[in-house]
Amino acid sequence: MIELAAVRKRFGRHAVLDGIDLQVPTGARLGIIGPAASGKSVLLKLVCGLLRPDAGQVMIDGTDITERSEEGLAATRARIGFLFQNYALFDFMTVGDNVAFPLARRGGLAEDEIARRVSARLRAVGLAGNEAKMPAELSGGMKKRVGIARATIAHPEIVIYDEPTAGLDPVTTSKVYDLLRADQETTGATVIAVSSDVEALCRFVDTVAFLYQGKIRYQGAAQTLTDAPDPVVRQFVRGDLEGPLEG
Amino acid sequence: MFGFVERAITQVGTTTVRIAREVGGIVVLAFDVLRALFPPTLDGRELVKNLYKMGNQSVPIVALTAFFAGGLMLVQSAPFVEKLQAHALAGWAAGYAVLREIGPILIALMFSGRVGANNTAELGTMTVTEQLDGLRALAIDPIRYLIVPRVVAMVVMLLALTVIGDLVALVGAAITAKAVVGIEFSTFIHSVVDNLKPYDFLHGIYKSMVFGASIALTSCYFGVTVRGGAVGVGRAVNAAVVAAAVSVMLLDFFMTYWLG
Ligand SMILES: Nc1ncnc2c1ncn2[C@@H]1O[C@H](COP(=O)(O)OP(=O)(O)O)[C@@H](O)[C@H]1O
Ligand SMILES: [Mg+2]
Repeated sequence: MIELAAVRKRFGRHAVLDGIDLQVPTGARLGIIGPAASGKSVLLKLVCGLLRPDAGQVMIDGTDITERSEEGLAATRARIGFLFQNYALFDFMTVGDNVAFPLARRGGLAEDEIARRVSARLRAVGLAGNEAKMPAELSGGMKKRVGIARATIAHPEIVIYDEPTAGLDPVTTSKVYDLLRADQETTGATVIAVSSDVEALCRFVDTVAFLYQGKIRYQGAAQTLTDAPDPVVRQFVRGDLEGPLEG
Repeated sequence: MFGFVERAITQVGTTTVRIAREVGGIVVLAFDVLRALFPPTLDGRELVKNLYKMGNQSVPIVALTAFFAGGLMLVQSAPFVEKLQAHALAGWAAGYAVLREIGPILIALMFSGRVGANNTAELGTMTVTEQLDGLRALAIDPIRYLIVPRVVAMVVMLLALTVIGDLVALVGAAITAKAVVGIEFSTFIHSVVDNLKPYDFLHGIYKSMVFGASIALTSCYFGVTVRGGAVGVGRAVNAAVVAAAVSVMLLDFFMTYWLG
């Protein structure tokens, strides 16, 4: 269970998150949507302790991680797989080494076993045989998929996806979400996914939270999102130009 | 009129605050690096890789500039050497200036423009593509893994370059002395060896160690604090080079006093 209570985060004078309360039960799939620069990525980074809140608590399975030192966070982070919006692929390593990294860090596996899992994972994201390439040789969409492979290879209990399908074509988007869903169903992981592709996201997650002006404005089932009672949410989801939504 | 004064004061105020914040950030980074050095759990492979790359980038350019800078000492002093018949002092004069001042400062500035700028760009690109967060998410400390090897490599490399540059500059001065004023090599070498103390060389070496640390920390700091994508990286490189040049000049001034 991931729990955020009254979480606040500001940068300089700009209050990005202004009292966030959010609960993600173990094994649930939560989608987070919201306008650009509304703090979605910041929220995800708070969950794994990459940013610290100014106030409030971030609890993972009942323990508050906000007070922990960087070393103290290591054990928690080992349980989390993170896909970053800007890929975060280590540009000084090959694609294969990038994907292998979480496994190699964890230790306990023979090298050929790691190599086998890496190539299986790369095949699953449609990038078979790209192990020897450097990240700089890949397109944005390919980097995203390598990032997904790296985030999921160690079967983490919690997986966080920041824009998993940005820059992908519609067909690949569907394929990626099918893969994420299949993964989640086999591992039973808790998933938090941020995406601007609301429609595709809703087919993957069970609940959706709408982040707006520093708060969770709405939270509800993914299927009924387009009929949400809140006009701001409806306008955002439907992409209407007219309405109460403020830029 | 009043509006102008107010604007000027605001400008001075915000600039002061910004500089204070950046100096503060660099000092904090310096402490983080020092803490990571005790106990010295340095990633040896990263260190060697960085040393190799930095040396490759900068040895030729440093040698070239040092040679001509040394020669320049002689070209500038040639009229006085002739007028005062001070042939026996030409080597001392050139050596004194090169070892204590010209060598360390010129090479530090070259190094900052070449290696420091490159370092800021690299770390900045890694920052905007979230690679530092990526390392932390995999429980790796970016300070230990990325910053410390770079800082150590830069200090060591600038030191080595200063020794090389000092030598090359003296060779440049000796060759120019022979060509321009007709001073024999033996006279030049005697002038250097008889008049310069080992401390003149050490004075410059101490400086170059401090310059190296300052350039390294500045360039790393501006790299890891980049915001705003590729444009931000460009701005950071620029800021890092300017800040490093200013800090080298200021440190040089104070160290010349203190070291004597
Ligand atoms: N490290 C940071 N320093 C300063 N401002 C930041 C930082 N990270 C994010 N922000 C700001 O916080 C706001 C929300 O950013 P983000 O979470 O990336 O938005 P998005 O919802 O598009 O993912 C933006 O205005 C951004 O400029
Ligand atoms: Mg984002």
